[in-house]
Amino acid sequence: MPTASTIFWDYAAPFFEKTVFVYGTTLLITYTMLAILSFINIRRYLKKESYTDYNVIIGSPLVPGISVIAPAFNEGLTIIANVRSLLTFNYPIYEVIVINDGSTDDTLEQLIAEFALVKINYAFEQKISCQPIRGIYKSTNDAYAKLIIVDKENGKAKADASNAGINISSFNYFLCTDVDCILHVHTLQKLIRPVLDEQYKRVIAVGATLRMANSCVIDKGVITEIKAPRQLLARFQEMEYIRSFVLGKMGWSLINAVPNVSGGLGLFDKEIVVRAGGYDPQAYGEDMELMLRMNRYSKENKIESAIRYIPVTLCWTEGPTTLKVFMRQRTRWARGLIQLMSLHSKMFLNPRYGIVGMVTVPYNFFFELLAPLIELTGVIYYIVLICAGEVNWPYAVILLIFVYTYALMISSLAVLWDQLTFQYYKKWLDVIRICSMAFFETIIYHPINVIFALRGYFFHLIGKKHTWGNMQRRGFVQKAPTEPKPTVS
Amino acid sequence: MFSNIANLLIEAYEQYVYLPLFIQIALAFIIFAILATVFAYFIIVFKRYQGYVTEKRKNFITPKIEEIITDQVLLNEKLNEGIPVDEIEFDLKALNHKMFKKEWVRQALIDIIIQYRKNFRGDLGDLLRKFYLDMNLSKESFEKLKSMKWEKKIKAVSELTSMDIQISDVTILPLTNSTNPSLRSAARNAYIQLSKNEPFKFFDIATEPILPWDQLELYRIITTTKDIAIPNFSRWISYSSNKSVVAFCLKLIAHYDQQAAIPSVIDLTSTKDHFLRAAAINCLGKLSAEIAEDKFLRIYNTQPVNCQLEILKALGRIGSGKNLEFLKQEFMFSSNFDIRMSAAKSIIKHNSPASRILIDELMAVSSEENKLILKHCQNPLIKY
Repeated sequence: MPTASTIFWDYAAPFFEKTVFVYGTTLLITYTMLAILSFINIRRYLKKESYTDYNVIIGSPLVPGISVIAPAFNEGLTIIANVRSLLTFNYPIYEVIVINDGSTDDTLEQLIAEFALVKINYAFEQKISCQPIRGIYKSTNDAYAKLIIVDKENGKAKADASNAGINISSFNYFLCTDVDCILHVHTLQKLIRPVLDEQYKRVIAVGATLRMANSCVIDKGVITEIKAPRQLLARFQEMEYIRSFVLGKMGWSLINAVPNVSGGLGLFDKEIVVRAGGYDPQAYGEDMELMLRMNRYSKENKIESAIRYIPVTLCWTEGPTTLKVFMRQRTRWARGLIQLMSLHSKMFLNPRYGIVGMVTVPYNFFFELLAPLIELTGVIYYIVLICAGEVNWPYAVILLIFVYTYALMISSLAVLWDQLTFQYYKKWLDVIRICSMAFFETIIYHPINVIFALRGYFFHLIGKKHTWGNMQRRGFVQKAPTEPKPTVS
Repeated sequence: MFSNIANLLIEAYEQYVYLPLFIQIALAFIIFAILATVFAYFIIVFKRYQGYVTEKRKNFITPKIEEIITDQVLLNEKLNEGIPVDEIEFDLKALNHKMFKKEWVRQALIDIIIQYRKNFRGDLGDLLRKFYLDMNLSKESFEKLKSMKWEKKIKAVSELTSMDIQISDVTILPLTNSTNPSLRSAARNAYIQLSKNEPFKFFDIATEPILPWDQLELYRIITTTKDIAIPNFSRWISYSSNKSVVAFCLKLIAHYDQQAAIPSVIDLTSTKDHFLRAAAINCLGKLSAEIAEDKFLRIYNTQPVNCQLEILKALGRIGSGKNLEFLKQEFMFSSNFDIRMSAAKSIIKHNSPASRILIDELMAVSSEENKLILKHCQNPLIKY
């Protein structure tokens, strides 16, 4: 009569080992495929860029207008510099809509004083739901004619503020960003290009690479020197962003299976966003949730749509530098993913939703949502094997090296693709700093991420209420003033 | 030594084949991953070094080329003496300098001449062109045109166009209908700039679309190139089956205010494609085609919202005053916010005594929301 222990070691254990091996190998092969696809896509992009003259946009009456939507909550410390930065785009027709989402500091007062704002009668239709708007302000100074400030009641989510901005916006395309992000002066022209350059499909969203602004040198809201972050946590994130955007999303973009356009920077087709219902303030990952809903709307209404990515960095954001803030961010992302999968379970392996239903959603389910759980199970299994003295150490070491070297390869390729796109770091030291992260990521950064993701799943399971915390920004490195300091005689 | 390594490899292989399959796979992946990682870092180092060398070369050669161009072209005394450009001879010693034998130097020379030519017109521009021809650089551009690579063809087309060198119709016309959108676009841009007699001939044969981005480029070239023979674009409105050509011609008709095209554009408002119909209505508005107003009113109720909005905008642009009552009705009774907004803007745009009286009247009788719309439209601070 076989005992439970015999059944476990004879049947369950080999089955688990083989399943995990197949799972892991499939994931690594998928990454290799993505690396190849992204390489093709980046090459294509660079070839096109080599003879593109963006000057055709300047002064052309044919370019579509773009509304830049930037929600702000208690940004009093940096709001003026940030808004000035948003007003510097090199694009002929755009408006900047800053939404003061019920700030409790002096954000609005500063804006009113700095930009000579007056409250105006502004007619708009509330096409998507948002908290009540208290007032809309325009500048009496013609230099700030593009600026609109919306003062609204706090909606407890960026999504609500973004929805208010969409309702106010005048143009058919809008760019969604965070007011504290630093955008490149050519952001609008670079992002509109894929929309105007598409032959067969309607481009409903375009994204670009984001990077950490933590150690970059910034002068009056403009990046003057790009540096790899000095803080270890931020540098790990930079590495992660490069891999995610340059290798991941560029690869998905080639087969029109982009899972997400980041909330930090994305250009959207307003009509589709409005018809899909706008951002969901209840969603923890509102950007990805909207993308799936837009995809879903397009497929259900037989619109041949596309989501595109470009490999150039157009946005710099300040990443969390303390574990506490980082944990809060990643826990929220994990909750967002689990929420997203349950909300859009209908799309899972559903051919009606095309490649998104057949590839994007299953990929996110198996390799994003399940990955932390499988890793946790693997660790527990390892501990059991060690306790039972059943570990075949040579094989175990080979398998660990297998995972490590493969992860190292993928991250290294991501850095290479990034370097091929544009050599952002002028100094060798910055390149070495980023490359070194690839060696330590698997053993330091990845386990931390897994723990925070599991924390998110656990909170979701017990229904813990989520509280929106402040990012606790430290501010950017400002260029040292060149003027001589006044001396007291 | 080699036999030792060979023996070691054979021994390793013999051990490898007896390993479990998953370990075999893992080992294969490890070797692949290590090689790929080393390769990635090698390429990173190589590319950065290559970038450094290219930059250094460029910094070295650019001043030398610029010096030659300055001496031979910009400060050429013969030009000041009034000698025709065609008769000016360059210093052969400078032209035959051994550095110009290298391919990368010749490419740098082409690029710099093109840059200069963008800034210099007239005799200086012509002399730069002659310099390009005398250096036999056109031969290199034409060689690129024969390349199988589309990006090289684009480079060639761009170089020849910048230097105003004719490309035969047999070569360029097929490229204007290439299935490669980028090459197609570059060829079309070149054709418009180079063809003196019929720059728009490719509109006749275009079966591939003119993408919105291409339209931006074409529009700029057409509206900024001097001495270009502008045809009556209604020709393609009436006969072209390519919708993008028709849509682009509508924009050009509006830009050149081609009043003669109005009948053709009015006919186009009967097309089944509502996007094209909206574009035609928009064009008629910009042409201030009062003659189209009756048709607008006749078809209004059967149109989708995008066309209705264009009709309302067009009535505002035409501003004849004959349809203020219609605009008033739409403003007062439409349930669609955008329609009311457009109607209000059009009434205000009339800017006539009758429209001002109407606005006062509407202010007195409208709902709060409609009053807000009127105030919004009248506010000079609101631009869009």
